[in-house]
Amino acid sequence: MKVLHIEPEKCTGCLRCEVACSYVQSGEFNPSKSVIRVSAFERGHTSFSPYTCFQCAEGWCMTACPVEAIDISAVGAKEVQDDQCVGCKLCTLACPYGTIFYDPEREKAFKCNLCGGDPQCAHACPTQAITWIEDFTQDWTGAFAAQRSAADLARIGATNGR
Amino acid sequence: MAAKRHVIVGGGTAAINAITSIREFDQGASDIVLVAEERPYSRMVLPYYLGKRISRSHVWTLSPDRLAALGVTTQIGRRATALDTAQQRVTLDNGETVDYDDLLIATGSSAVRAPVPGADLPGVHSFWTLEQADGLIAEVKAGSEVVLVGAGFISFTILNSLVKLGVRLTVIELAPTILPRMIDPNGAAIVTRWLEQHGVTVQTGVRLNAIEEVAGRKRLVLDGGGELSADVVIMATGIRPNLGWLEGAGLEMGRGILVDDHMRTSAPNVYAAGDVAEAFDRVTGQRALHAIEPAAMEHGRIAGANMAGVDRAHRGTVLMNIVDVLDLEIASFGLWDDADAESVAVEKPSQWAYRRLLWHGQGEAMTGAIIIGISEHLWATNDVGILKGLVQDGQPMGAWKRAMMDNPWELKRPFVATGHVGRLLQETVLGRPSTPADEVNAARWVSPEAAALAAQTEV
Ligand SMILES: Cc1cc2nc3c(=O)[nH]c(=O)nc-3n(C[C@H](O)[C@H](O)[C@H](O)COP(=O)(O)OP(=O)(O)OC[C@H]3O[C@@H](n4cnc5c(N)ncnc54)[C@H](O)[C@@H]3O)c2cc1C
Repeated sequence: MKVLHIEPEKCTGCLRCEVACSYVQSGEFNPSKSVIRVSAFERGHTSFSPYTCFQCAEGWCMTACPVEAIDISAVGAKEVQDDQCVGCKLCTLACPYGTIFYDPEREKAFKCNLCGGDPQCAHACPTQAITWIEDFTQDWTGAFAAQRSAADLARIGATNGR
Repeated sequence: MAAKRHVIVGGGTAAINAITSIREFDQGASDIVLVAEERPYSRMVLPYYLGKRISRSHVWTLSPDRLAALGVTTQIGRRATALDTAQQRVTLDNGETVDYDDLLIATGSSAVRAPVPGADLPGVHSFWTLEQADGLIAEVKAGSEVVLVGAGFISFTILNSLVKLGVRLTVIELAPTILPRMIDPNGAAIVTRWLEQHGVTVQTGVRLNAIEEVAGRKRLVLDGGGELSADVVIMATGIRPNLGWLEGAGLEMGRGILVDDHMRTSAPNVYAAGDVAEAFDRVTGQRALHAIEPAAMEHGRIAGANMAGVDRAHRGTVLMNIVDVLDLEIASFGLWDDADAESVAVEKPSQWAYRRLLWHGQGEAMTGAIIIGISEHLWATNDVGILKGLVQDGQPMGAWKRAMMDNPWELKRPFVATGHVGRLLQETVLGRPSTPADEVNAARWVSPEAAALAAQTEV
């Protein structure tokens, strides 16, 4: 199965993935409507990583939905069916990764659907931090985040005497 | 050998999940009999039907076609009235009996009205079943004066719809603050202000003494002499699990039916799931009566697996709720109301944003949280789900705990840097990837898990 493979070391924080994503997902160039989200993992905003749905095996969003509005698409994405979604947000509560959201304008849940098999974030990424390749889904950012934030964490510990 | 007969009583969330779970593992190798008082529908989408966001037909869950595809025999419109665990037999309201090899009790709960004179007058409503929703919908109109008695979670799930319908709304609550079982007083104060700004009248610390009929309208008599008048009164004053039909069945009970981590009750071959089940809480490891949709879903799936002969243990449900009032989102998780916890609370008044994080017994694992914020702001973050992940995973946060106490607005970095994602990705409820429910059917095929087990037990 193809997955969105993320290499945070290559991310420059340019946000092109967010812009591309928001445009395909919502028709607007508006990063807050993007379902891939870049954040800084080091103070001074130097180390960045994109973060989006892992298409996890459980599919917490899918199994939580009271009206079966979330399916698995042909390319393996857990996908919200807008005509079924009632906007109850149970999926946003059940997802332990925080990668499914609610759109108050449309009153629907929304999440990464892998753009139907042609993810635009991967196209938009100028440094190949995001690629669409055969692999297993995994924690792409954990080790990177731990390493890049270690100095910040030591500083917080020092100022608090702990 | 005759196929095993599973009998399922109740047609709600727990029952549906149990049926699909049984079929996910045995795909038709057993008989399933569903006894349900009502045609299966989802209670928790009723508020959206009230608010005209969905049509009435959207509430149905297992259609007759789906039930047939799942190989389920139905007794719909029938109530179970008694259980004999020695004979393994359920009695129905028409006097018929159904024998089981194993039984799932999934009869959910009912709304309870405050025991005051006039509580049963016409024009006084509960909102728990489809029939009750129909009753209320027939009576509320734009401009109606509506009093909502009780400011708990269920009350809030319909509040939004009522306001959008254009009613003039007053909410009264006995406790000193609104949403007393969902958020703390700080959070409640923010939500109360928000409601008042949006034209909803909120009165807390108010006891309702009686409801009277006066010239076709209702008069609510309050303790201390106050009065309110209304066209429509809605009582959202609590729920009670439907256990009456089990009187004399001898099942061990607490506030609900006590079950183990396989959803087994004290009687052989009898399982319970959903609102009736007092089952394990993920954070405390103790039994609790949660009465939330995700608990019913998880209980049902675990019970179904075990009924299909596939040994599955439940790790416990994370207590969680989310509700929005006019685009202010309010959610809480786990032990958000823990007196024995270290906690931090922060507020950004100009943004209506509030958070509390709790750490039970000064520990390093986050055990509870409250989050409030305007929809537009909150859904631009990953924070709602991340709070659930933190509480669900329950891992010590080490030095990150201090960072989170210093700055509770930043959750993603601590969550990711402590490896939660990798651990959570290992976890599934049934020990295998989930199948979308609508792809499960009864094709008379037996899963490798169930076949292996059958082979073992035959030796
Ligand atoms: C208005 C409303 C909003 C809600 N919103 C939320 C929410 O946002 N989040 C959340 O987590 N939860 C919510 N809930 C709660 C959620 O709906 C319940 O926790 C869930 O439905 C429980 O599932 P269950 O299968 O245990 O019971 P139910 O879904 O209640 O199903 C019980 C079934 O048993 C049948 N039955 C009862 N007695 C008998 C009998 N003796 N014989 C045969 N059949 C019988 C009933 O007809 C029904 O079909 C809401 C509930 C309501 C009413």
